[in-house]
Amino acid sequence: MSRPQEHRCDVLVVGGGTAGMAAAVELAATGIRVEICEQSARLGGAIHRQPADGSPAAGLPRALGAQWQRLSQSLAHADIVQRTRHIFLGIDSDGLALFEDRAAGTVRTVRAAAVVLAVGAVERIAPRPGWQLAGVTTAGGMQVMMKETGRVPSGRILIAGNGPLPIALAAQLTKLGNPPVAVIESGDPLRRPGAALGLIAHPHIASEALGHLARLAVAGVPWRRAAALTAIERRGETLFATIVDRGGRTTQIGVDWIALHDGIRCNAFGLPASGDAIDSRPLIVRAGDCREALGAIAAEADGRRAAHAVIAALRGGKIARDGSSRRVAGQRMAQALLSELFRPVNLANDPRHLADDTILCRCENKTVGDLRWLLGQEGLSPREIKLNGRFGMGACQGRFCADSVMAITAASRSASVPEDIEQLTGSRWPLRPVSIASLAATETPTADTNHPTE
Amino acid sequence: MRSGQFTWQGQTISFRPGETIAAALAGAGIGDLGRDGAGAGLRYFCGIGACQSCLVRADGRIVEACLTPARDGAVIAALEPLA
Repeated sequence: MSRPQEHRCDVLVVGGGTAGMAAAVELAATGIRVEICEQSARLGGAIHRQPADGSPAAGLPRALGAQWQRLSQSLAHADIVQRTRHIFLGIDSDGLALFEDRAAGTVRTVRAAAVVLAVGAVERIAPRPGWQLAGVTTAGGMQVMMKETGRVPSGRILIAGNGPLPIALAAQLTKLGNPPVAVIESGDPLRRPGAALGLIAHPHIASEALGHLARLAVAGVPWRRAAALTAIERRGETLFATIVDRGGRTTQIGVDWIALHDGIRCNAFGLPASGDAIDSRPLIVRAGDCREALGAIAAEADGRRAAHAVIAALRGGKIARDGSSRRVAGQRMAQALLSELFRPVNLANDPRHLADDTILCRCENKTVGDLRWLLGQEGLSPREIKLNGRFGMGACQGRFCADSVMAITAASRSASVPEDIEQLTGSRWPLRPVSIASLAATETPTADTNHPTE
Repeated sequence: MRSGQFTWQGQTISFRPGETIAAALAGAGIGDLGRDGAGAGLRYFCGIGACQSCLVRADGRIVEACLTPARDGAVIAALEPLA
């Protein structure tokens, strides 16, 4: 077996969203050779997903529109190698970063002095009966599709979950001509005046949220607070959602589409640990939402902060200070206020209340009952829950079930705090399923010692 | 970037320039993407390649429909035969 072609650059940036683009621009400005790799066909990430036909993106808040102009123009004028349709698989024991190049159908290996990981966030979706059905998407997923196509889903749409994103999606749908039938919110923000007042210090967030709410009020879209969507059932062409309101009363709503969103978390699943360069291992720095999920404004500043840390490590000298860390800290305070404002008061989505036949791990088709049965055996470690029960073992690597698996496990053992999800998911490559054909086409020396899945 | 057509389970689907397979299928009103080997249902969900629940077989390769640009003449199929 021949050694693979090793590509080289000074700094590899993984992820072409806000944080990755900001880091790449900052690094390239100092003459460092930068390569940025992105999984989809265009840079931008989830927030700045560009319309498929190349037309300018519309409908973003002004601060984010300006951010895209800044990042995309800086990148266009910088000497940065851009690679799209590159799926990050991880960093192997030789310190090589591995990507599946989807366009070429091969695995590409890159040796870099430093790697900036900027792979963003994933949405939290509390499992409920029926969450796995066709027609149910995440709120972010529905937004991304609308950004890409410029089209609104046709038919009746219900949005449910927690936080500011459901309202933003509802306002966007309303603006594009198909207001949702309702927004179901498990928090009760209007009854938390303290947190609301605190947001006055963050006028961008406050005015954006008020603008969304005004649009919904004018369109007559109900914002049902202290309520929870607890089950979804398909009968014929219609999805029936069960809603439990403030007083515990249950109603059903029939719709064509349901968008769920119960918060945001770091997409840190399986990522190599941050840390200094040792032997052939590159310096690894995380940036943006995959370090701390604080949103797009923070991600740009955090990308620059990460770049300064890399520059100081590679070139020697002090870490440059340009206010980036202060900006991240400001967004941290804003997000903490939003969390308090939207703190759930309707706890009907607590995973402890789930019926046994609820799908918990969609990839492996495992239910809450399967986990409870497994937990009947004394003292299983998270690793055994994965290996024996297949929870967190499937194609998504636990991104959508690990939190709930650990919460149910903790509850069954009367533990107040769930164990770290990394105890369940582990941290090894490949981070994503990679085809055997791609691995074979590259002949990496490690291809036969790992266990890629297809 | 060009528009074109691919087939999904033998049905002809048109796509607009630059669209992903997921966007083109959604535009044609197709939401149910069949089942995978574990018997779990497949459909568009997160839109960012994380959930792995929109996997399809595109010209023989398993890919996320939400990340993969549609290609003129492609043959796209469900992972397991649709019931």
